[in-house]
Amino acid sequence: MSELSTLTDAELVQQCRAGDTAAWNELVERFSRYVYAVCVKGFRLGEEDAEDVFQEVFMRVFTHLDTLRDDAALRPWIAQLTRRLCIDSISRSGREQAAAEPVEEDVAGDLVEIDEAFTVREALTSLPEVCQEILDRFFAQDQSYRTISAELDLPSGTIASRIARCLRRLRDELEGRNEPAQGSRE
Amino acid sequence: MVARSTRDSWEDAPGVAAQALAIQERVVQLAPADAEAWETALTALREAGNAEGDGARRDFELERKLGLAAAAPLEIAELGADAAALAALAGEHGDPAYRADAVAAAALAAGGARAAAHLVEVNLAVRAGDERLAQARASEQAASEAAERLLASIR
Repeated sequence: MSELSTLTDAELVQQCRAGDTAAWNELVERFSRYVYAVCVKGFRLGEEDAEDVFQEVFMRVFTHLDTLRDDAALRPWIAQLTRRLCIDSISRSGREQAAAEPVEEDVAGDLVEIDEAFTVREALTSLPEVCQEILDRFFAQDQSYRTISAELDLPSGTIASRIARCLRRLRDELEGRNEPAQGSRE
Repeated sequence: MVARSTRDSWEDAPGVAAQALAIQERVVQLAPADAEAWETALTALREAGNAEGDGARRDFELERKLGLAAAAPLEIAELGADAAALAALAGEHGDPAYRADAVAAAALAAGGARAAAHLVEVNLAVRAGDERLAQARASEQAASEAAERLLASIR
């Protein structure tokens, strides 16, 4: 894990503003899957359109980062930017005759799910490595207690309670993050 | 249910309930996959009995389909072991008022693991030395031990 990957979004924004190239790379790395998921799973864009939106989002982030009013609100800002560009893309391609708003209403549920998934992913990274590992194996890779026990060399009878404890830490982490943040003028 | 009803007195209860839900979702997805794989294997078994021609190729294809059909019950057996372990945990740490429910859950999970292991062995003609059968039996045993341990603790 690189040093930059442990920075909060706000700290990362500050490093980017200071002209740190590695910080920009980290920003793209951190949000690329999110932006892509919103494009493809949320708005169901084709690969080419998704690629165009992806490029445009990060280009705008690069050129408008100074307009972000609250550095901690990086993700909501990128989310808003991505949604708007996806809608523009759909309108341009003529796939949808309806106005942008109904399009966004149609995909609202998917977007909420994507957002929640990334919030959880993000919170996971702040947990101890053993917790990240065990939660990922059980909930994302669908591994059984026996497999987790064998692969992590932990007593099999302790896996369920370890997962429960890690979930408790994850919940505490998520509850600590639930403070509203301001967006940007962009 | 036991974990959900014990939220106030057991701090790990929500985490145990979340795991139970995850296991439940996996089993629900596996049940139709199991039926479908078995249907395919059954058709292959019938066709193998009637077909003529390249026997080795036919046997290979049949074995492949039976192997696929064994995958779902094998996974169900493992999930049975996990569900029994969770039920045991809930029975040990949860509200005593719900301990009997935990025992029932563990017994049902152990039964499921046993049935699934039986399917791996008998229905799919897996041979005694097969690694998959050993895994299924290990899951069956783990589930059974968890259920027995919990039952013994309340007798």
